[in-house]
Amino acid sequence: MAKNLLKTGVKKAEEMGKRCSIAIVDDHGWLVALHRMDGAPIPTAEIARDKAWTAATFRISTSEVPRFGDSRMPGYGFNVQNWNERLTTIPGGLPIWKDSHVIGAIGVCSQTPKEDVLFCQNILKDIFGEERYLKPKKRLARRKYGRR
Amino acid sequence: MKELTLELALKMLEAAERWARDIAGFPCSIAVVDKSGTVIAVHRMDGAAMATTDIAIEKAWTAVAFKMPTLMGSRWLDPRNIGKLLGDHAMGMIGRGKGRLCFIPGGIPVTDEENEVIGAIGCSGVPSGVGDISDTTVSQAGVTALYE
Repeated sequence: MAKNLLKTGVKKAEEMGKRCSIAIVDDHGWLVALHRMDGAPIPTAEIARDKAWTAATFRISTSEVPRFGDSRMPGYGFNVQNWNERLTTIPGGLPIWKDSHVIGAIGVCSQTPKEDVLFCQNILKDIFGEERYLKPKKRLARRKYGRR
Repeated sequence: MKELTLELALKMLEAAERWARDIAGFPCSIAVVDKSGTVIAVHRMDGAAMATTDIAIEKAWTAVAFKMPTLMGSRWLDPRNIGKLLGDHAMGMIGRGKGRLCFIPGGIPVTDEENEVIGAIGCSGVPSGVGDISDTTVSQAGVTALYE
């Protein structure tokens, strides 16, 4: 499964002419597979791993981590800065949901965070065929932000 | 073969994985790093323990940093060498290794035609001391595949 994800990811990145690192972790945040493409900057490998770790252990996409700064959200006051060396707020890591369980996470580090997120979603869409990785809870949180 | 590309790294990984699965019979983690010691690709086989990925990366890093198999380093740490110059030097190196130095057999540097180190492969997860079946031989299978 992880190899499949990575193969798709590397192929897509090559099509788009990008050089990136892709990391896959299991449901507890431990690395399963990591690929750094030729010419991708050296730190991207570690950043991709950090993103995947954050997505897997918190069961949210890394772009949602800053919500811990909102006092109306659960987990308010969580020390994002100094928690550990892995936790990152950079968007580009997504948990992989299957039957309402997180089975792992994917982290991509290439260029801008926005592109990374799209890239992750593309890979997951290719493998799973649908947007099953988007949990209803996540959409609800977004709506809440919008109303404000 | 001036540079270790992702393609070559995956070729090594595949061969080593096949060897580990079919001949050694132990699931393990295998990592390939380039000549700067940074990760190109890591695979953790199904069933391998979660700590093995990090150890495999560390072994590969040590192999490329010292330009020799980590088996050599483990020989320095032989109890007969402790208290002598070689053994004490090796102990001192571990302290100065920034937590990355790993003198456990299993990492092998990869050289090109001019005998320049272009990267390394590291394996972890095979119980040592089972005859010819060890981390080192799994890594060797990967290196052999590269030269074929």
